[in-house]
Amino acid sequence: MQIKNGKDFWAGWMYIGFGAMFLIVAQNYSMGSALRMGPAYFPTWLGSLLVLLGIAVVVRSFTSHLEHPWRLFEFRPLFFFASVVLGGLAYWKQAWLVGIHPWVALAANGVGIVLFFSSFGKRSLSWILLVTVLFGYLLKPLGIVLTTIALIFGASLAGHEFKFKEILFLSIGLAIFSAAAFVYGLGLPFPVWPELRG
Amino acid sequence: MEQLLSNLGLGFSVALSLTNLWYCFIGVLLGTLIGVLPGIGPLATIAMLLPVTFTLSPTSALIMLAGIYYGAQYGGSTTAILVNLPGETSSAITMLDGYQMARQGRAGPALGIAAIGSFLAGSAATLLIAVAAPPLAEVALKFGPAEYFSLMVLGLVGAVVLAHGSLVKAIAMVVLGLLLGLIGTDVNSGVARFTFGVPELSDGLGFVAIAMGTFGYAEIILNLEQGDKREVFTSKVGKLLPSMDEFIYCVPSIIRSTLLGSFLGILPGGGALLGSFSSYAVEKKLTKDRQPFGKGNIRGVAGPEAGNNAAAQTSFIPMLTLGIPSNAIMAMMIGAMMIQGIAPGPQVMTQKPDLFWGMIASMWVGNLMLVVLNLPLIGMWIKLLTVPYRLLYPAILLFCTIGVYSVQNNPFDSILTAMFGLFGYLCVKTESEPAPMLLGYILGPLMEENLRRAMLLSRGDPTVFFQRPISAVMLGLAILLLIFMALPMLRKKREEVFTEEET
Repeated sequence: MQIKNGKDFWAGWMYIGFGAMFLIVAQNYSMGSALRMGPAYFPTWLGSLLVLLGIAVVVRSFTSHLEHPWRLFEFRPLFFFASVVLGGLAYWKQAWLVGIHPWVALAANGVGIVLFFSSFGKRSLSWILLVTVLFGYLLKPLGIVLTTIALIFGASLAGHEFKFKEILFLSIGLAIFSAAAFVYGLGLPFPVWPELRG
Repeated sequence: MEQLLSNLGLGFSVALSLTNLWYCFIGVLLGTLIGVLPGIGPLATIAMLLPVTFTLSPTSALIMLAGIYYGAQYGGSTTAILVNLPGETSSAITMLDGYQMARQGRAGPALGIAAIGSFLAGSAATLLIAVAAPPLAEVALKFGPAEYFSLMVLGLVGAVVLAHGSLVKAIAMVVLGLLLGLIGTDVNSGVARFTFGVPELSDGLGFVAIAMGTFGYAEIILNLEQGDKREVFTSKVGKLLPSMDEFIYCVPSIIRSTLLGSFLGILPGGGALLGSFSSYAVEKKLTKDRQPFGKGNIRGVAGPEAGNNAAAQTSFIPMLTLGIPSNAIMAMMIGAMMIQGIAPGPQVMTQKPDLFWGMIASMWVGNLMLVVLNLPLIGMWIKLLTVPYRLLYPAILLFCTIGVYSVQNNPFDSILTAMFGLFGYLCVKTESEPAPMLLGYILGPLMEENLRRAMLLSRGDPTVFFQRPISAVMLGLAILLLIFMALPMLRKKREEVFTEEET
């Protein structure tokens, strides 16, 4: 058996994964009947359908007349599994990690997200995604000016060329613009500078 | 007729108010500004600019969004003509002859006729909406849950049939979208479904996060992977207006394409892409004089641009009257309506006539603005095209991140967007068209609700969908469509159509 169409192969597994997740989680809710559908009814049917479609696509990937390589994008299984383990810990932490220090939990979550995003694709992918998440968390404590500068520098590292001077001017310009346009202009409730209080 | 005039009168009084005129202008301007950037199609543009409209009143917000849509589409055509890099497939058709014209030093007339053709087609299609929408909405008001359910099935099947690539994968993406739409609190039982204990998810997945991540982020990431290779024809745009002779030569082609595009836009799953593609095919068959198509025939620009705009316009009809999106862009419009607190559907026309007619009138105003704005500003768009991507994308990314965050001021939305960015990237890599997913996401909760109601009314008898005539016809059509597409002969034809379009 040989995978002929790598695109179908991975797409199929993606559908199976999503379908199975919805199917399994839906079993926590009540099914009801066709007359009075419970919250599990519709998702159970859809989840099963998605799993079946996924299986069909995976099967087809072995017989397809379209040839696509097996390696479509870079994938780091070690990072991926580590992030899944950390994610699982975060989900069940209420059950058996109750007394854990919040900073440790936060750090574990952060590492999990970094690992998850860096398990796929090239550097550009993980950088862009990480910068976005960081922006969300830094905006309140750091204010929009510093966060913008950080985001522009971070995002530029994802590209092919990096010229420090150019990016410095760009980031300062955009920082001034976003403070003026979003905070003063549109009146969005973002702090402009870091809030200095204990 | 009198009714029509008074309705349009109301519409224009709304659309021509200074505030709405201003937002329409800003929308068209911003839409063109983002849409002109290579590699960013209308879908990504609307996703990126969606948060900007949230602070406005519902009418102004929708007027601005519609403006963004036309702007983005026209911007995409500009890029297709000048850079040979289409933002999305609907302008890929314009590229065939438009870029050839640019290479022959006739970029100006190509850009000019694109604007004129779009405007004429848009005006005709707007009138069609004003005429066709009220009777359709009246029919839709009589629909019961069974009819609605079947209509949604038909709409989703239509979208699947017209998606690129594999049929099975498109169906799978729709199902996935439906499931994603179910995340959050179940209205009937109050159970928080699929939230994994995350309180932010109890209101459902954020629409902006999904749209921005899957369409906006994925495009930025893919563009970055590919690197920057562009060839811009900036120096020889020449005079913009086509000559009288060229214009007259294009008129029949604009008329044909407008009719064809208007019709195709109404179909479930139809829209700009279908309009431009079919118009090009028809014009190619009918035009035998002057240059052959693909070598810089001006009709190859005028036709698809008119068809594309007419279809883009008439695809508002099912959205406005039935509350059912026919393509991913209309799904975004519905998402925006829901965020504004308006339940889309036939009741919008009677309950909010100012919004309904104001939006229709603003479509014409927006189309006019496009012509007025773009012809003089073309120099600016060309300047923008020469800015290197390494400076553009950090700025685009910044606006996206701020936009997502500003919806709820919650970092959780940033994580969600990043997740969907990754998802969008994987979708492109595995050739799973994400547009049907967005349709499913919008329709998921509606479908479940109507299915529940229909089954309750029929006392649990599933044959109700075939007993009610309208519902039966729609389901029958959906099944027929699926069978036809699965036939080997037609499937081959469909593959040919889509591959021809991509190259």
